[in-house]
Amino acid sequence: MRRRSAASHSVGRRRFLTLSAAGLVAAGLPRAARAQGKRSGELVAGLSERMLTLDPANHYSISSTSVHRHMFDPLVDVTNDSKFVPALAESWRAVNNTTWRFTLRKGVTFHDGTPFNADSALFTLRRVKDNTKLIKSFVYQDIESVEKDGDYSVVVTSNRPFGSLPAHLTMLGMLPPHAAKNEEAFFQKPIGTGPFRFTSWTHGDHIVLAANPTYWKPGVPRVEKVTFRFIPELSTRAAGLRAGEIHVVDRVTPDLVETLKSSRGVKVFDVPAVEAQRWIFQLAKEPVKDQRLRQAISLAIDRNVIIKDLLLGYGRPVDSPVPPGLIGHTSLPAKPYDPERARQILKQAGYTNVSIDFVLMKDLYPKQLEITQAVAAMLGEVGIKVNIKNLEIATAREHRSAGTYDMFFSGWAHMPHDPDWYFGQWFTRAGSEKLTRYNNPRVEQLIAEGRVPDPKVRQAKYEELERILWDEEPEIWPYYSVAIYGVSDRVRNFEPRRDYYVLLSDVAIV
Amino acid sequence: MFVVLRVLPGDPAKMLLPEGAPQSAVDELNRHLGLREPLHVQYAIFIRSVFRGDFGQSFQYRAPALRVVTERLAATAQLALAAMFLTGAVGVSLGIVAAVRRGTRYDVASTLFAVLGQSLPNFWLGIMLILLFGVALRWLPTSGFESWRHLILPAVTLAAFPTALVARLTRSSMLEILGRDYIRTGRAKGLAERAVVLRHALRNAAVPVLTVLGLQVGTLLGGAVITESVFAWPGMGKLVVDAIFFRDFPVVQTVLIFSATIFVLINLLVDLLYTVIDPRIRYS
Repeated sequence: MRRRSAASHSVGRRRFLTLSAAGLVAAGLPRAARAQGKRSGELVAGLSERMLTLDPANHYSISSTSVHRHMFDPLVDVTNDSKFVPALAESWRAVNNTTWRFTLRKGVTFHDGTPFNADSALFTLRRVKDNTKLIKSFVYQDIESVEKDGDYSVVVTSNRPFGSLPAHLTMLGMLPPHAAKNEEAFFQKPIGTGPFRFTSWTHGDHIVLAANPTYWKPGVPRVEKVTFRFIPELSTRAAGLRAGEIHVVDRVTPDLVETLKSSRGVKVFDVPAVEAQRWIFQLAKEPVKDQRLRQAISLAIDRNVIIKDLLLGYGRPVDSPVPPGLIGHTSLPAKPYDPERARQILKQAGYTNVSIDFVLMKDLYPKQLEITQAVAAMLGEVGIKVNIKNLEIATAREHRSAGTYDMFFSGWAHMPHDPDWYFGQWFTRAGSEKLTRYNNPRVEQLIAEGRVPDPKVRQAKYEELERILWDEEPEIWPYYSVAIYGVSDRVRNFEPRRDYYVLLSDVAIV
Repeated sequence: MFVVLRVLPGDPAKMLLPEGAPQSAVDELNRHLGLREPLHVQYAIFIRSVFRGDFGQSFQYRAPALRVVTERLAATAQLALAAMFLTGAVGVSLGIVAAVRRGTRYDVASTLFAVLGQSLPNFWLGIMLILLFGVALRWLPTSGFESWRHLILPAVTLAAFPTALVARLTRSSMLEILGRDYIRTGRAKGLAERAVVLRHALRNAAVPVLTVLGLQVGTLLGGAVITESVFAWPGMGKLVVDAIFFRDFPVVQTVLIFSATIFVLINLLVDLLYTVIDPRIRYS
């Protein structure tokens, strides 16, 4: 390192003049290039998860969604502040509680020239609903019919209100109907309407995409080529960024932030994620089925210490089960840290020598073991013994299904930027049957009523629902996660996404 | 193995579906994956398919398991062969030098190298090499599977342990041979030292070294999980670990069949090589 910086200081006169001239030319170039709307350069992103498939309907992987979003456009897009905006659908409206009507964008073509129209939307939606082998299929099972009304309009009816449909559609890339001829071959070399075209995919290593020069959105993309490299090991990903090989890396952990910040040419971006950490209780099991015990546990946990000392500030205090920005979020009073009150409650309820099992899915969340150990110490202070069980993911999940745990370290990223999935899964009897065994008919009713498309109704129902959950404490929401990205200082216009996506269509490199 | 995988706790469909998938979706997906059938029926289908060359569909990749595995085989083979080449070349050379120059600083250096090579964890060594040659000096790429330059750091990392092993083994084996009478005879009749060491001593010392090398090749071709993880190398080691993790039974089974076959073949090859190196060994 020292050698290189010494070299950069010893510049001779002739070299100085040459460099200055080159610098002037280079400084003028990007502006000129921008003025002409020209794209240039190549971006390389290092993603934490290997992409397994090129079929947008067959996964819920965040890394894969990042890659696919460059090749396929959805009907609806979502901004970083969770607003739903037009993509391939120019507009949409709820005709009634069970019917959505989407008006499609005209003049868009797939990468092979096939026009995008209602047939494409029809094919994509019917495929994901009917082909139950697809991972995303279960989300669309409420759909009753998908019909076209003219070439650029689609009507979707469901057998019960489906207010979150536009949100789910942000994760479903549109396909050309001819993909049906030979799906296996199609997804080896897929075609979408997105800002980039598929070039090549070295399985397990990287995928290369080239700019789509006829993209419907003017000025996008801003680079000629994007390569996504799959590097699950964070230290390796970070090394690639520091070496200048990679321009953007995702899923940086708090303890690596300082290293990256002190590296030359590297910037760090962080943003509160649409993810709430949650430690769920087994509500059909003694002793944690007792709300008083759950309340005592909650009072005994100092959330600020966890955020400040263990997450180094890269966590946000929770004020609702649902992160800010999402529909239904309502700011509720912060959960206090009061070990004395916790002891009183335990005493009044007659709990002595309480012992609980706290199950973790091994290595899934940053710092989870240290955090759990800290929680065990905090609960120990009020007389609750915690047995930490750090289990391999599949085994831990089996424990959760069987209900053989007291507390379970989990998290929920609200990927379609809508809380309906979370509520429906965890707080309805059917949804939580093999999970927490939560059962509250009033909450169930509110969830059902909150499924309508009207945002005002949804907001009201969810506010009431969140208040009930806040009091019941069927789970502890210790902090909202923070999404941290490492980015080269050559990159322009990078937006750190709250949903962990790495989106590079509108990003430039100098 | 077929049964062991299936009696492990954990449900493949649950691992594939997101956290919030309802039980009905889990059951439906397990049906598609053929996991609702009784175990003996699943086994019969598996055996019948394997004999037709069909190793099943990977649950995770939704592609033929055989294709998923063979795609990774090239990366694994490249890495394993490069590491083995380094092991053979560096390990044997170091061992010879240490034995011939016994007690000198060359011997000490070689022993030190052997101790380091065998005691440094692969993970740490890999990261250090990346930081030094990738980040600080920028001589080599930090990770990836593209050109021969990408191969150097992982190969060195992977080779560190077996090289040290081979160096130590070669040294002790050579020392034993160099003390034999026929070596003294060779020197007494005026043979050049180079000929004594390389032609007469090494050839006899090579049999145990070759055994170890053979075992190492077999092991490395099965995949090198840690090195592959550190360098994001798309090899079979990481593939099989992930497959176990995600309960992707067809991929685990295919990798095991492959690795076992390769292991047996390599060791057979080594046994055959014995006869070339040492004509006294005959298989009848």
